[in-house]
Amino acid sequence: MSAGAGPRLLIVDDEEHILSALRRSLRREGYRIVTAASGEEGLSMLAREHVDLVLSDHKMPGINGLEFLKRAGVLQPRAALLLITGWTEEVPTHQLQAAGVRGLISKPWDDAELKRALKAALHE
Amino acid sequence: MQHWQQAGASPRVRIVIAERPPRAQSRVGDAVATDRPGILAALQRLGSEVDIDLAQDAAAALAQAPQADLLIVDARLGVDLSRILEALREGGPPVVVVTPVRDDEIALEAFRRGAAECVAAESDFEELLPVVALEQIRRYRAARERGLAERRICWLEHLNDAIVNEFPAALAVLDADLRVVFVNPAFARLWFLSADAVRGQPLREVLPPPLLESGEILAALGETRDDKSPAPRIVRAPLFDGTRRAFDLRTQRLDDEGRVLLVLSDVTERERLHRRLRDLQRYNANIIQNMNSALLVVDSAARITSANPLAGQMLGADPVGLRGRSLWEWLPEGTPQRELIARTLEEGHRFRSRESHIVRADGSSVPIGLSCSPLLGAVGRRHGAVVILQDLTEIKDLQSQVLQTEKMASIGQLAAGVAHEINNPMGFIHANLFQMAEYLGDLRRVWEQVEELRRTAEADDLSAARAAAHELARVSDAVDARFLLEDFGKAVRECQEGSERIRHIVQDLRDFAHRDAAHPVSADINQCLDSTANMVWSTVKHSVVLKKEYGELPELCCYPMQLKQVFMNLLVNAAQAIEEKHQGGRESGLIHLKTQRRGDAVVVSVHDTGVGIDAEHLDRIFDPFFTTKQVGAGMGLGLSTSYTIVQRHGGTIRVQSERGVGTTFEVVLPLALNAAGEASAL
Repeated sequence: MSAGAGPRLLIVDDEEHILSALRRSLRREGYRIVTAASGEEGLSMLAREHVDLVLSDHKMPGINGLEFLKRAGVLQPRAALLLITGWTEEVPTHQLQAAGVRGLISKPWDDAELKRALKAALHE
Repeated sequence: MQHWQQAGASPRVRIVIAERPPRAQSRVGDAVATDRPGILAALQRLGSEVDIDLAQDAAAALAQAPQADLLIVDARLGVDLSRILEALREGGPPVVVVTPVRDDEIALEAFRRGAAECVAAESDFEELLPVVALEQIRRYRAARERGLAERRICWLEHLNDAIVNEFPAALAVLDADLRVVFVNPAFARLWFLSADAVRGQPLREVLPPPLLESGEILAALGETRDDKSPAPRIVRAPLFDGTRRAFDLRTQRLDDEGRVLLVLSDVTERERLHRRLRDLQRYNANIIQNMNSALLVVDSAARITSANPLAGQMLGADPVGLRGRSLWEWLPEGTPQRELIARTLEEGHRFRSRESHIVRADGSSVPIGLSCSPLLGAVGRRHGAVVILQDLTEIKDLQSQVLQTEKMASIGQLAAGVAHEINNPMGFIHANLFQMAEYLGDLRRVWEQVEELRRTAEADDLSAARAAAHELARVSDAVDARFLLEDFGKAVRECQEGSERIRHIVQDLRDFAHRDAAHPVSADINQCLDSTANMVWSTVKHSVVLKKEYGELPELCCYPMQLKQVFMNLLVNAAQAIEEKHQGGRESGLIHLKTQRRGDAVVVSVHDTGVGIDAEHLDRIFDPFFTTKQVGAGMGLGLSTSYTIVQRHGGTIRVQSERGVGTTFEVVLPLALNAAGEASAL
C-alpha cells in the first residue's frame, strides 16, 4: 500500500506520547495519519479536510472524546469513528451507539487488536 | 441563778441607816435635845466588818435596800418611814425603827406596817441596837438562803420534767418487780400507751410481745436491778405500722430499792445511715479499685497518698509501694503536664483529658490522658490533688488505624484519576515496547547483512562483498533503518519519560499512605502542600487550573503526613466542588493555594471557584459523617478528621463560602506547639 493512497486517519489525544506510540503501531498499516491534541483542534481539522477514520481518546481537557466523535460524525458522516480509553466501562454502549461510534479500544492497547479494530471499522 | 451568786459572793454585812442630818433634826424634834448618841454611833461596836450606807430620805434608802441586809430608820423621818415600810413589806431586808423615846403607839404602828423591830434610843441604846441588828441580819440571811435552796430544788424539778418529757428516747422507771413507776411521753407515744394507765403494770404486759420475744430487755433489767451492769445492746422488733425498728437498749439502777431506768432509743435511722455510708464507701472503693483509669491522690507536695491497682500497673509499681513517693518521678521537670499538676496544687486549677505521656522507671513512655482536680477539705482548703491517668496506648493505636483507614479511603477517591495518570504512560510504554521489539527484529536483519559484508571483505571475495553491500543497502532501505534508529531513540526517551511519570505518581501515593513517626518532626509546609497538590491536580488537570502562591515559611514542627491528609481533603473537596459546578463542560475552575507567615503562625489557604457551600451547612461541615456528596464520593469524615488534626497541632481551621462563587479554607498552624495544643503521636 503506497503512502499516498491509504485511508486518511485522524488520531486525537491530549497526550503527545500516545499519539507518537499510535503512529508507531500503525506505521506499516498504510494509513495517512494526521493528529490533533484536543477535540476542538480535531473538529477544526475535520472542517477543512476529509478523513476516512477518526480514533479519539476519551478523557481530554475541553470537550471529551465522545462529544468530539458525535460532532465529528456530523461533520463527516461517512468517517468511521473509534474511541480509545482506559475506562471502557465509563462509556455506556448506548451512548457509543448514539454517537455512531464503530469501535471501542482499551488503553493500553494490544497492537493486533488495534489494527483489527481499525480495519473492521473501515470496512463496516 | 443571779441570786445564788450574790448571796455567795457577799459575806460582808451591809446596813442602810436612814435619818435626818443633825441640823434638820434639831429643828424637828424634842428627842434631839438629849445627849444620846445617834444610830451610826450606836453601831460602831459592830466593827469594820460592817458596811454602812447613809440615806436621808425614803428614795435614797430604798435605792440601796436591794444590796442591804438591814435598814435602820429613824422614826422621825415620818412620811419617809411609812414609804420605806410600805415598799419593803412584801420582800426585802428587815427594817428596824428607832424612836427617840419609848413610845408604844409609834412602835405598834411601825410593827403594823411591817417593821421587824422597834428600839428606843434610851440609855442602853448603844448595847441594844447592835444586838438587835445582828439578830435581824442573821434571821434575814437564814431565810433568804432557805428561799434560794427551795427555788433551786424547784428549778431542778422543772428541768427534770422538761428533760424527761421532751427526751426523744423512750424512758421508763421500773420498780424492783419491774412494774412501771413512770414512763415518759416518748415511751407512751411509741407503743400507743397512756402514761397514767400503765403505772403499776408489769413491764412485760406493757411492752408489745415482739419486743420482749428475745428476752433481752427483761434480762438486762434483771441484771441491772441486781447491780450487775449489762453491756448496751440493740434489740429489734416491728412497730405497729409494720416497720422493723432497731432500739439501743440501756438500763441504769436508780436506788437501793432496786428501781431501774430503762432507755430505748430508736436507732433505725442511724443504722440505716451507717449502712448507707458503709455501702457508699464500699461502692466508691469498688469503683476506684476497678475503674479503667489510674487514680492517684497526692498531697500538696505531690507525694502519693493513695493509688488504685491500675495506677500501680501504669506507673510500674505496687500500689501500696507508691505511697509516699513523689509523682514527679514519672513526670520529668519542665514538662507541661508537671506544670499543670503543680498549678492544681498551688492555685486549685482544674483540667481534663490533656494528652501527655509518662516515663516509667525502665525508660518506657506511655501515652496518657491526664485529668487533675484539687482535693478540697471540709472548709474548702486545698490538701493536694486527685490525678486521673488514662492509658491512651490502645486509643492511640485505634486512632492511628482510623486515620490510616480514612487516608486510604481518600486515596480511593483519587484512585480513578491516579489510575488514569498511570494508564496513559502505561499505554504508550506498552505500545512502544511492542514496536521496539519489531524495530529490533528489522535492525537485526540489517546487522546480519553487515556481518555478511564483513565476512566477504575479510575473505577478499570482492564480488561477494559487492553483493553483500548491495543486499545491505536493500535491507536497510526495506526496513527504513535510518528511521528505525532515530525512532528507536525517540521511543526509548518517551518510555523513560513515561516510566518517570509513573514513578512520581507511585512515590506521591506511597508518601501519602505512609504513617507519621511517633514524634513531631520539622517539615517544610510548602513542600507538603505542593506534593499533595500535584497528586490531586494530576487527576483533575483537565478541569482545574492550579495557582500556587507560596510564601517563605520557616520549618514547622509537626506531623507532616497528617497535615498532608488535611491538604488532600481540602484539595479533593475543592476539585469536587469545581467539577460539580462545571459538570464535565468546557470551562475549567481555579484552585488557588496560598501560604504565608502570619506572626507566630503559618497560614495555608485553599481557595476554589467551585459550587460553594450552602450557608445552612457551613456550621456543620466539620461534624463527623456530615456530607452533601453523592454516595461513593466520600463518607463525610474528611473535614472532621482535618479539624481534629489541625486542633492537635494547636491550630485552627476556618471556612468562608458563597454558594455559586466558591469556598476558601484557611488553616492556621502555630509555629510552637504549646501545652494546650500539644500534638499527639499518631
